[in-house]
Amino acid sequence: MPETEEAILHSEFRWALVAVGMVSVIMLALIYAGLVQHINPPSNIENIDPNTLHLTGEFTEANLGTSVDATGQVTSRIVATQFTFQPQCFVVPENHPVILRFASPDVVHGILITGTNVNTMVVPGYISQIHTVFTKTGDLLMPCHEYCGLGHSEMWATVRVVPKDEFKPDAAGRASCASG
Amino acid sequence: MPQAKRLILAHLWFAFAALAAAAVLGVWQMWARSPLPAPFLTAEAYFASVTAHGTTMAYVMTTLFIMGFGYYVAETALERALPGRTWAWLGFVLGVVGALMAAATVFAGRASVLYTFYPPLIASSFYYMGVVLVVVGSWIWCGLMITAMAVWKRANPGKPVPLAMFATVANAILWLWTTVGVAAELFFQVIPAALGWNLAIDVGLSRTLFSWTLHAIVYFWLIPAYIAFYTMAPQAAGGRLYSDTMGRLAFILFLIYSLPVGIHHLLMDPEQANAFKFLQVSLTALVVVPTLLTVFTIGASMEIAGRLRGGRGLLGWIGALPWDRPMVLATGLSFLMLWFGGLGGLVNMSYGMNAMVHNTSWVTAHFHLIFGGTAVIMYFAISYAIWPVLTNRNPLSLRPQRIQLWLWFIGMMIMTLPWHYLGLLGQSRRVATFDYANPIIAAWGPWVVVSLFGGLILFASVLLFLWNLLEFHRTPAVIAEALRARYALAVHPPRRVPSTLNGFALWNVLVFIIMAAAYGYPIAQFFVIGPPQAIVHRVDGTR
Amino acid sequence: MAHTQPEALDQPWRLWASIIVLLALAFSVVFGFLVLPVVQGHSVGIDPFTAICRAIGLSPGSPAVDQPRSAAKAEPTTRVAWSTDLLRTLSRPGESSLATADVCAGCHGARGIAPTSQFPNLAGQSAIAIYKQLHDYKSGSRVNAIMTNIAQALQDEDIINLSTHFASAAERGLDQKTSEVVDEDTLRLVERGDPARGLPACNACHGFNSGGPIETPSLSRQNKEYLASQLHAFKSSDRRNDIYTRMRSIASKLSDREVETLATFYASTLAY
Repeated sequence: MPETEEAILHSEFRWALVAVGMVSVIMLALIYAGLVQHINPPSNIENIDPNTLHLTGEFTEANLGTSVDATGQVTSRIVATQFTFQPQCFVVPENHPVILRFASPDVVHGILITGTNVNTMVVPGYISQIHTVFTKTGDLLMPCHEYCGLGHSEMWATVRVVPKDEFKPDAAGRASCASG
Repeated sequence: MPQAKRLILAHLWFAFAALAAAAVLGVWQMWARSPLPAPFLTAEAYFASVTAHGTTMAYVMTTLFIMGFGYYVAETALERALPGRTWAWLGFVLGVVGALMAAATVFAGRASVLYTFYPPLIASSFYYMGVVLVVVGSWIWCGLMITAMAVWKRANPGKPVPLAMFATVANAILWLWTTVGVAAELFFQVIPAALGWNLAIDVGLSRTLFSWTLHAIVYFWLIPAYIAFYTMAPQAAGGRLYSDTMGRLAFILFLIYSLPVGIHHLLMDPEQANAFKFLQVSLTALVVVPTLLTVFTIGASMEIAGRLRGGRGLLGWIGALPWDRPMVLATGLSFLMLWFGGLGGLVNMSYGMNAMVHNTSWVTAHFHLIFGGTAVIMYFAISYAIWPVLTNRNPLSLRPQRIQLWLWFIGMMIMTLPWHYLGLLGQSRRVATFDYANPIIAAWGPWVVVSLFGGLILFASVLLFLWNLLEFHRTPAVIAEALRARYALAVHPPRRVPSTLNGFALWNVLVFIIMAAAYGYPIAQFFVIGPPQAIVHRVDGTR
Repeated sequence: MAHTQPEALDQPWRLWASIIVLLALAFSVVFGFLVLPVVQGHSVGIDPFTAICRAIGLSPGSPAVDQPRSAAKAEPTTRVAWSTDLLRTLSRPGESSLATADVCAGCHGARGIAPTSQFPNLAGQSAIAIYKQLHDYKSGSRVNAIMTNIAQALQDEDIINLSTHFASAAERGLDQKTSEVVDEDTLRLVERGDPARGLPACNACHGFNSGGPIETPSLSRQNKEYLASQLHAFKSSDRRNDIYTRMRSIASKLSDREVETLATFYASTLAY
């Protein structure tokens, strides 16, 4: 193959165009998903002091779990701490937009929900927020997926997805695994 | 025979001893996670093991190997003695002392923070200082690589730096840029906390600083494998490097685009915003390009070799390649693993798919395959290629070398492919014991056992590798003349290259500009917003 | 001659390299900072400025979805919050005359080693743990007929001094002759936990190198009856001052027999 250096560089350049074309397709797919389906990574620069997380407001113990507000918005608030989730089981309705809000009073944790693409880190100092819709009913596993200390292996919660007609919040708008 | 051969051999032997020790831990960890009952299994033991395994494989084995290989290239490609050999020995000593210091602290149970450190968990300061010593030793290596190239250029004005050395120095410069992130995290945040000077830490900032290092470091590990692809494999196959220019360009593209992409390791983190995640994901798409270029260039180079050996037809040249030569075999196996590992990487960089695999076993499987597979198999092949030159001995037979490489490939595939699948099923990371009574988890059990079996094959491969290296010393030295290193020639060896392809001034400027755009505000925001800090949790037994 | 030629070769490289890098950056900025957030926000009625601020991270929330409204307040289970200053204060050795007075020594012993097993030893206990419990008694987050009255009479400075005083006192010694033989099941709970019940190892928080919650008390050489009574209290949720149910979620999964054996273990085992 007595190709000249020019011919070699020419073929390399053509391949480079193909390579750039291939990665452009990936980027276009990402942009499409962002524009049409609003797929974004879970980013939420919302600060909260981990040291006073338990004291007042949104993440006090009695305020955790799933609640429905006056407009029908379903929000689940969960705390990830060494080494449990509080609540250890929370309930969500099927096929209805849900907002999940997580916070940590101590170290870095993370969650995923099996069978879904719900996945986020829980970093002390921040509230992690996910907007999603659960499309299948049943009990799903929610492990802590980021190393948080020696008890990390046993840090699991359950997400109970129930059909809409079985999702019955009480008068205060709260729903729990026991009732719902 | 290189003058610095004892220096080089010291680095490589220490690296491979570390590899073997970490491999033992790796097998135990896989056993612990499986449904089969494992001995010594407590939470403390498991996470100390994970810390030791990760720290050794990621920081010690790699850095020491790359330093030794770099010294080898500096002497053999430039055909001059390494300048500053005393400094090089100092770098080695710092690396060894640091590694041992960190290891001792981990095995004492006072540093179970994993190799990614995870503040606000804080270990004994001896652990971090051990890691720092290894890094400082490697900085000495960086300085010597840059110096060696500068000295050669002054003595050879206008001539192109041999590609192997150009790539090695690109890697050294990449490493200097890379370590800025973790050094800042350790010096300003983690070590002061470990010494008790700070009781709280800005976790978002430390994760972001660490992400700066976390992606570029994998290219630091990968580039020596690419050096072998470009400068050793074509020669071993009996062919020529298709394009020297494209080789240089590939290494330059790695230098530019490996760095400003670290936030793709934080795609699921709350402390970084969408826009910067998108920016860094776009740049990640660009770092795919030099790998694609490499596949083409090396494919073409191998095709030259295959056709020279009589291969015909569209793909017939593949069969005609001398697969009995370990370097050629390793290159082929490495490319196969690069295919799988690369596809996995494309999944990781797209955040819709990343959301399905983040912090699952998919991630662990991915980096074992792409790093443990693609890169480390080439470390083995490089060792087989340079040991004769370092020891002036030829191997008794190439067959054990080929067997060892095949075992590594097979073991890696058996270990990592089911592991990828487990990640898709939702198996989370860093878990010491699973509740196999749970039906969802029980379904994972058989695949974990298959993975364990792959790990055992890998361990056998490591043992055979060490045996093969030791075998060299049982053969008589070649008396006639010293064995020389031979690097691949390009089809058209350049007589002159533009200074932009012969040096790094322009590229450093571009790196600075891109890093300012990609990491400027993402880091500055922590000082602008001043988020609440998390109180330190000490894992070293002090309050 | 050798000087000018490489420069002529260089020009196009410098030019194209800079153009490509800047184009890549421009593409990313235009799409990531402008197009995506504005289009996403537009379809749900979020104005472009807000959407872009959210995308850059200057305001919380997603550029594509409305932010949820904040929820009602509720009663916390403890009023203690840690700060670095407080932790530094508690790490210094301290003294308190109250500690040796009857008010404390009567139940907890003159040197912090309780005369009867139903009261806890305080000698060598974590200052942080003692501080929290005294404040919880004071605020009513933890209720005990005797301690509530005592704690309510204490000022914050007294509590700090008491905590640091007991922390630096020598722990109870163990009589080798009475150390019990440890059974496998108990040791497994202590060192490995129970994945089936989602129980972390006790060591995961109470071990010396655990890095667990800051207010974790030391359990070793504590009194058996006291330990058992507290585990039962957590189990029934009579005691609720563990932040975010860290102990309630564990104790509720232990059997009564396990409560007994664990209490015995920590009261008597030398190694811990």
